[in-house]
Amino acid sequence: MQLAGRLYQRLQAKRGWLLLFLILGVALALYNLRTLKVEENIAAMLPDGGSTVARDFALLQQAPFARKVAIHVQLCSGVAAATDEHVLAHATSELCAALPSPLFLNPVSGPAQLGGMGMLRELGIYLPRLATSEDLTQVEQRLQRPQMEHYLVRAVEQLLQPQGIMLKQQVQQDPLALDTLALAKMQHLNPIPRVAVRQGHFFSRDGRSTLILVDTKVEITDSAGARQLEQAFMQACSVLPPEVKADMVSAHAYTLANARVIEADVQRVLLFSALGILLVFALVLRSLRALAVYLLPLLAMLGATQITAGVFGTISGITLGFGAVLLGITIDFALHVYFALRHGDDPVFIRLQAVARPVSFGAFTTMAAFALLLSSDLPGQRQLAVFAISGIGLALLLALVVLPHFIIPLRAPLAGAPREKSARLNRPWMRAGVMVFWFAGMVAGAWQVPNLHINGSLRQLSYMPPELLDAEQRLAHNWGEMRGRALIFAAAPELELALQRNEQVWQVLHERGLSTGAVSVAPLLCSMHTQDAHLQRWESFWKLHLPTAKARLEQQAARHGFAPGAFAPFWERVHTQPPVLDTAQVRKWGLGQMLDALILEDVATDAPGYKVLTLVPDSPEIVALLAPVVEKMPGITLVSQSRFGIQLADVIGTDFKRFILGAGMAVLLLLVVLFRRPLRVLLALVPVVTGLVAMYGGMGWLGLELNLFNIVTSILIIGLGVDYGIFMVCQGQEHTNLATTRAIVLSGITTLIGFGVLVLAQHPALHSIGITVVLGISAAVPAAVLVIPALQGGTMPITKGTRCTR
Amino acid sequence: MLLLAFSLVCCVANASADAQTPVTLAEVQQELKLAAEDVETLQSDILQEKHLAMFAETLRSTGRFIFARPDRLRWEMLKPVASGFVLQGEAGTRWNALSKEVGHFNISADPVMGMVAQQLLAWARVDLDWLNERYSMELICTQPVTLHLLPRDPGEAQMIESLSIVFAPDRSHVAEVVMREQGGDYTRMSFSSVQVNAPLPPTTFEAPKF
Repeated sequence: MQLAGRLYQRLQAKRGWLLLFLILGVALALYNLRTLKVEENIAAMLPDGGSTVARDFALLQQAPFARKVAIHVQLCSGVAAATDEHVLAHATSELCAALPSPLFLNPVSGPAQLGGMGMLRELGIYLPRLATSEDLTQVEQRLQRPQMEHYLVRAVEQLLQPQGIMLKQQVQQDPLALDTLALAKMQHLNPIPRVAVRQGHFFSRDGRSTLILVDTKVEITDSAGARQLEQAFMQACSVLPPEVKADMVSAHAYTLANARVIEADVQRVLLFSALGILLVFALVLRSLRALAVYLLPLLAMLGATQITAGVFGTISGITLGFGAVLLGITIDFALHVYFALRHGDDPVFIRLQAVARPVSFGAFTTMAAFALLLSSDLPGQRQLAVFAISGIGLALLLALVVLPHFIIPLRAPLAGAPREKSARLNRPWMRAGVMVFWFAGMVAGAWQVPNLHINGSLRQLSYMPPELLDAEQRLAHNWGEMRGRALIFAAAPELELALQRNEQVWQVLHERGLSTGAVSVAPLLCSMHTQDAHLQRWESFWKLHLPTAKARLEQQAARHGFAPGAFAPFWERVHTQPPVLDTAQVRKWGLGQMLDALILEDVATDAPGYKVLTLVPDSPEIVALLAPVVEKMPGITLVSQSRFGIQLADVIGTDFKRFILGAGMAVLLLLVVLFRRPLRVLLALVPVVTGLVAMYGGMGWLGLELNLFNIVTSILIIGLGVDYGIFMVCQGQEHTNLATTRAIVLSGITTLIGFGVLVLAQHPALHSIGITVVLGISAAVPAAVLVIPALQGGTMPITKGTRCTR
Repeated sequence: MLLLAFSLVCCVANASADAQTPVTLAEVQQELKLAAEDVETLQSDILQEKHLAMFAETLRSTGRFIFARPDRLRWEMLKPVASGFVLQGEAGTRWNALSKEVGHFNISADPVMGMVAQQLLAWARVDLDWLNERYSMELICTQPVTLHLLPRDPGEAQMIESLSIVFAPDRSHVAEVVMREQGGDYTRMSFSSVQVNAPLPPTTFEAPKF
């Protein structure tokens, strides 16, 4: 690392130019910040490309209610539902009208105007095209004497009622109530399980709440848009009477809540960490020059932001937030250079050469560890890798090339030689004490490592405000699980084929007794192929049964007083061949919204086509039962929130093992290159291993689960831990006083302050990062400054040719 | 038409007996409103005769009709088939004693029951405003008051040709309704043994349990 010393000597006379270049660079970077595009999308933390998880995430977004805003209008407690139903209905209409466009689009508070009796009558006409073999079995049963008797008595009873006048024609056309078989096809179309329709509105069964479903163009990850949406909703709510309240439940509300809490957390964390680190600097360094050390991570972060945005075009908010905290570790490089240059008797360039090697190797090992993230399936992690590598590289450059020119060495050497601290461990009982304590800690940590579980739930990484969770629970309680269902997509380039595939899915559900709670168009909207097959079967059926059935009905009808020929319209209908039932006809009946929710037309993609959805309850048992069967069928995809979490956990688990092993190998390789002696390599690894065991063991003790962000935290612990190890092992080899122990303790303190304040964060992801880093670093630092010297026997003998400086 | 002619003959005979009877529809309506406004509850027997082409003979059935202001009804046929419905506000329950079927309905979601309930409530409350809105009305006779109603709504007119409503002599309630359908079928409902403002048992508007 003579290069650093030579560069220092060459640039010594050109400090002004160096400063000018630095200022120009910073000014340019700040100017470019204006056009920086920050994206706030959780998809950045999900696998991309052709992975199953990425595909499933995209499909989950196509669920009928995934992008809808649900407004839950409720009577306040103490207000009687029965007497105030009209108040609620009126308030719902008023709120619908008050929701401003274009933020809120197409508010729907009740079913579309159905065709009423017309639809019911017409639906029956299509029975020959809809009747399955099971339906025909039922028809056959109704043609038997006892059932025929039952239906005729019922017909008389209906005609005797005041409503009989309106049912007369229906009875003549359908005395055996065969239309009910067609109507039964409608029961699987309702995606809102617990809905009742009153006064044209969706009412909950207890009559205490109504539901408004609204579209919006605001992306669910757009926090600024979500804020506007919330404000507009609050304003619209002013039309509600005092006895009625409304909740808005949508992904936007979570986005906004998360943005708010992150904003508050970041402000708090930055303030406390900045003040804390400043306080440490003021107490320990006591020099204005130390400000350069303080500024170095900020400059590195600025440069890393430019480079990352340049590589990817945009930068994820998650990368920026987490990366900014991450680059706080680069203060370590500056601290080591600062201490090495401030204290000591050797010329500055000699001390710079001495410190450059451990600093560079420390930076390279951390960069190598982060480089592994470049192969991640998660775009956010790849972006984070570029951000961290470029930031660390810049920080190294600044620490070795620029910073030395702003540090003035102290005239008096630092009290005590660098090996003085470890010399305190020269007494065997002290070394033994440290070893016993360390060993006990390692055993206790390792004991709990197997208890650590991986949680792939995205919800765990999001802030869930209690009031939003309450609102969501109330919605689910009143309306059923309309948002959390497993989805089965039947896709094909043509609607006909998609419908055929959807029928196959329905058949599977039916055979396994899972069709009861399912939502599907399959029973009503069959493919043309199936409709033709049904019609053929219907005609064959009547060819066989008509003569007997006709005679029997005439005989039974006469017994109940019906005139001869009373049911002539029925026989006429039996022989009428209805046209194919298509989407246009279903839309005419006012079921367009349902069709739009369950039949998706891809027009914008490279492979246009149709996806027909079936919704089933999202329970692990049902998904486990269906997945192996339906996923073997062509064009069928099953996605579920619950399985998505498991899949994501698998990906995280695989990534985790790959990264930890890869980072470990990379670090080991660099350590072998640096130290060339197994004992020193192992010593340098002590802080890493201690930090990781403390982190995972501590999480196990605390009952915490490993999440997406802990992968990066682990790499951070590896990077920092190995830095400490390299510095401590190198310290044992150096003649030059580099004040390493002090630098490590101080950098550990700054890291603990920087990350430790994250423990105070309300946001679960930030909180989790804070806890895990505190666990790891608070073990890695003592391991470096106490355990390594204790293992070295107090001091490391200096061997010529294996020193860290050359 | 025979029935209408018979009503007219009765009216002419009765009209001569009371020269003081108001003759304009508005005056009669005003009197009907006044007479019915004190009615809180009504109970009566029903005799229903259905003359339907699809039946070989006239369908006769008997039952009970009970009303309590503002919107509670019990319509119950006892013979030949025990069936009926109760309504409280918009929520109702219907039953069939033969099949022991009980079902719930809501008139806002069930257009057929909604129309039936509105009609029965209008008769029971003597809600002439509602009737005027839906039907063009003609005064056929004043003793007893007999109104001839023609539906204004074309949809309803496709089904119902006319309604004839005969009021009780004291004009506090409806005594008979004849509903004529397009095609010649008609239904006569006669209300007898009427009790006005008699106390009702608390279970009146509950469906029977099977």
